Amino acid sequence: MTAALAVETRKLIAARVVQTATVLLVVGVAIMTGALTAAADAGNEQILAKLGDLAGEHGWARLLGVAAQIIAAAGLLTFGVTLAWVVGREFADGTISALFALPVPRASIAAAKLVVFLAWTVAVAFLLIVAVAITGLVLGYGRPDGQAVAGLARLLALTALSGLLATPAAWVATLGRGMLAGIASTITTIVVAEVLVVAGTGAWLPVAAPALWAIDPAAVSAPQLALVALIPFVFGALAMQSWARLQLDR
Amino acid sequence: MGELRLAADALRRVFAGGAGVHGIDLEVAAGQVHALVGLNGAGKTTLLRLLLGMLRPEAGTVRIDGQDLHDAGPEIWARVGHLVGAPLAYPELDARTNLAVAARLRRVPTPLISGMVDRGLAELHLAEYARVRARVLSSGNRQRLGLAGVLQHDPDLIVLDEPTSALDPAGVILLRQALLGRVHAGAGVLVSSHHLDEVARIAARISVINRGRLIGTLDPHGVDIERAFFALVHADEERRAS
Repeated sequence: MTAALAVETRKLIAARVVQTATVLLVVGVAIMTGALTAAADAGNEQILAKLGDLAGEHGWARLLGVAAQIIAAAGLLTFGVTLAWVVGREFADGTISALFALPVPRASIAAAKLVVFLAWTVAVAFLLIVAVAITGLVLGYGRPDGQAVAGLARLLALTALSGLLATPAAWVATLGRGMLAGIASTITTIVVAEVLVVAGTGAWLPVAAPALWAIDPAAVSAPQLALVALIPFVFGALAMQSWARLQLDR
Repeated sequence: MGELRLAADALRRVFAGGAGVHGIDLEVAAGQVHALVGLNGAGKTTLLRLLLGMLRPEAGTVRIDGQDLHDAGPEIWARVGHLVGAPLAYPELDARTNLAVAARLRRVPTPLISGMVDRGLAELHLAEYARVRARVLSSGNRQRLGLAGVLQHDPDLIVLDEPTSALDPAGVILLRQALLGRVHAGAGVLVSSHHLDEVARIAARISVINRGRLIGTLDPHGVDIERAFFALVHADEERRAS
């Protein structure tokens, strides 16, 4: 496992896809959050109408609520696409055949991919809250108070939890022998989550729970949030099993 | 014949449509190059994949250094080098890092990796590309990089699928020398080719594969082995047609 972790870490750090995903997510969330909040501050009716309950908030509270909504979708999409690439690229580049007949088991390589990926999502989470905090300061909200700091901490957790929610992409990319299947599964997950949240499934749905919690901690119970942790275990195990049993037969 | 590095017995895997491998016995001895020659689609790659566990056989067994493939542990795989398909050359990593990755995946102890990579780069004449990302290497140099990663840990068993297809004549000679050096040290080499290239010509044994079956052998010292090869394939096709 140490060898696989060392190899996957080197690959992830050097990958342009990962560097681009990091910049796009961090800068993109900061710009979108800043623009929407600034427009709401200026009294833009259309934006205020779109913000729903958040329209009644002000300052840090509104900024962090808007950021949570954007991160919930953009984070999962970015992480799912990146993980689909991390796994699917071995099939697309044809390097998968070189990962057979090695003293390092393929299941360890799959596990290392997930571990390194999740470590990256935590690093992105820290960058993201720094970017959101800077956005708030630039908009003139002053030093974040205790509530705002707690909100920033929830954004950190939301981003890291979005990484956990993206793990099915690793399994699907393996089954589909490429990144497109993993990307498609991530988009499907986001769409299904949106539909089910509108339908009222709410916090019992692991893909929706972190975002609902980040916006309003009282709306989500601890067991509902804990369900999120099941996703990486279940799909991580499935991905490892698929890698262990892999054949180059198609 | 000496100790067997690789032995396949009645290996069979047939795909829908009938292509595949239809019961093949094959041996690779220590200190020997065994060439597998066949036309495109003859079943060479399928056979090599079965030998390395990339495909599971419907029937038959594979032994590496006497150990059944199912029970082969890390100590067996650490002594194998193979290039079947794309070379292990990640585009975002430079040549040196790619070789370090290949060494790590073979569980080479960390303190030994740097020296091993230096020798690998030198052997395949890649030293000037050490800090060049694989993305910008020519396909021939990527192939050399893949071969360096396969050979640098001096494996006991080397399995190569059409290794010369992207190489220039200088690369072919380098590979031939690299293989001969390891064969003299006791390695067993199985190399496939769709033609009787320079590497097939260093083989002590040449087996001919056609439509998933071994149909005969060629004398590596024969005067016109190209003609003998086509005669074997032609005779096999005639036999099937009748």
